[in-house]
Amino acid sequence: MRTHPSWRLLQADSAPLIISFLYKSFILTNKRSIAAETLATQLDDYLHHLRETTGEKRFPRKGRDYLNDWASGEQGYLRKYYPAASVGDEPLFDLTPSTEKVIEWISGFEQKQFVGTESRLLTVFRLLSEIASDTETDPQQRIDRLEQEKAKLEQEIASLKSGHIMPHDPTRVKEKFLQAEDTARQLLSDFRQVEENFRHLDRDVRERITTASSGKGKMLDDIFSEQDAITESDQGRSFKAFWSWLMSRASQDELQATLEKVLALPEVQSLQHDELLSRIRFRLLEAGEKVNSTCAQLVEQLRRYLDDQAWLENRRIMEIVREIEQSAIAVRQSPPADKLFTTLSLNKPALEMPMSRGLFRPASRPVISETPEEGEADFDTTALYTQHYVDERALLARIRFALQSRPQISLAELVKLHPVEKGLSEVVAYLHIASESDHALVDSDSSEEIIWHDAQGRQKEAVMPVVIFTR
Amino acid sequence: MNTNTQSEHSTSDDPALGTVVVNLMKGVVYRDLNPDVWQQLEELHARVIDYVAVMGLNLIVDEAEGYAYLKQVSDEERSVPKLIARRPLSFPISLLCVLLRKKMVEQDAGGGEARLILTREQIVEMMRVFLPDRANEARLFDQIDTYINKVAEFGFLKKLNTNPPAWEVRRIIKALVDADWLADFNEKLKVYRDHAESSV
Repeated sequence: MRTHPSWRLLQADSAPLIISFLYKSFILTNKRSIAAETLATQLDDYLHHLRETTGEKRFPRKGRDYLNDWASGEQGYLRKYYPAASVGDEPLFDLTPSTEKVIEWISGFEQKQFVGTESRLLTVFRLLSEIASDTETDPQQRIDRLEQEKAKLEQEIASLKSGHIMPHDPTRVKEKFLQAEDTARQLLSDFRQVEENFRHLDRDVRERITTASSGKGKMLDDIFSEQDAITESDQGRSFKAFWSWLMSRASQDELQATLEKVLALPEVQSLQHDELLSRIRFRLLEAGEKVNSTCAQLVEQLRRYLDDQAWLENRRIMEIVREIEQSAIAVRQSPPADKLFTTLSLNKPALEMPMSRGLFRPASRPVISETPEEGEADFDTTALYTQHYVDERALLARIRFALQSRPQISLAELVKLHPVEKGLSEVVAYLHIASESDHALVDSDSSEEIIWHDAQGRQKEAVMPVVIFTR
Repeated sequence: MNTNTQSEHSTSDDPALGTVVVNLMKGVVYRDLNPDVWQQLEELHARVIDYVAVMGLNLIVDEAEGYAYLKQVSDEERSVPKLIARRPLSFPISLLCVLLRKKMVEQDAGGGEARLILTREQIVEMMRVFLPDRANEARLFDQIDTYINKVAEFGFLKKLNTNPPAWEVRRIIKALVDADWLADFNEKLKVYRDHAESSV
């Protein structure tokens, strides 16, 4: 258990930092994966924020270094990977399932509004009776069951017809809704595990094939039986069923309609819930799509690897490479000096057309003999001199956005939310906005420090009067 | 292939065929990097083969790996002058090719990642075991950089636009640095080793 990545994460000295940061970046925003550069910037901001607020000097390194550390073999809190070439070259980060488990468990520390026990009991009971009836082989037993259900339904219809409408129980509605939300969240987090399981299957198959010492006929047999190992596993089938359900128009519409109806219920609206369920359709599609592409990619690579010719060639190559390495070590101190040790036939025909080379042309040396006339500007030339263009409207938008969640904000706080990009001129622009606005206050009696980084990454700071923007 | 459509077009006025052939003449065509050309190549497969055969070239398409390239026909009887030259390689550069090829086998056996990506540090670590000790580490780094650039010129390595920059080992290395080439290299190195040890 000590070697389990989840346990190691909990034991890590910087566990609170890692967990809180990853929670903020991945879980709160529901991102499946984040580009390395973006995540590193986020971490830098976060670390900066920590140093500012707690004065801690514990995390002196760059965000990028921490991320690479967390993604390296022995830690394994994050998975760093390169997307398909058609997507781009920048590496991406994703949570590992074990990290997600830790985060999920820790977020469970928060006191729940209330813990519904009834609906869970009913769910357990319903699942069990479904299994029992699905596996029942005696037709009479099944008929009896169905008859029972029919009688119950008829009774209900009769009571509705006679004008008896049972009012629904608000507690039960809330309870069920919270349970649905919980399950949905778990479902989303399970996708990372599903992906990981696919990768495990892939590795297992490869390992078995690499270590197999059987003859070629036997090996081919294995290959063909393993060809579909991934898609035909329990994991693969369950996922396929999920995906085809999600991809069908009818079930999507049904899900959406049901959701809208449920979310409009007053009981549900009285609950403090996030927007997870209302967007669950897109979240599921997004998460499923990622699993799907991982799976397709793994199957494709596995097929390539299983190509028997390549397999035999790979074995031969490894043998030869080992010999080459031994010889190369032996001659290490006096390697062959020739420029030409081997030759390689490249895949590119060498074409050189003499006519495509330019002919000699004497270089022309232009001499300016006329003096240009001095013209007069018939337009506003200030645009030419405002080299550092700062878009005040963008700054205003930032201020407005920040004020949505609070009655007032100081410039220092604002700069922490939106790091200064254009240097001092941007800070001055804020000052300009403040001086012209009725909803801003410049307190010259106290001062605060504004910090930003210039294009070379050097830290710059300015001490200036406290500027406060209000609604 | 439909022979009717082939006779309707004369070779010279089909822009698609031109596109495919010119792309192949310029180097390896990858499915993931150049999907349009790849599709045209699939459609015109037979005609491209006929066309490049005139120049003594063979079209090699690897569906599984997703690349296509031209190869000199090795047939000695045909007297077409060679278009694809054999490039001379120095010992360290050959060795780098060997090590990259090994990495690719290892990656394929390990599964998981689709692309083989190495940082400069990883390549340096891989190489330095086989290079003579030198007091000046910076010089060693510079030297390995020149090897890397050379191999990138061959199309085996592609510099990625990442920060810090990393190198992707392109799968075409499988086609050119194959078991036969490695066996040949191994023989040469053995001969050299025997020679070096006997002359000490």
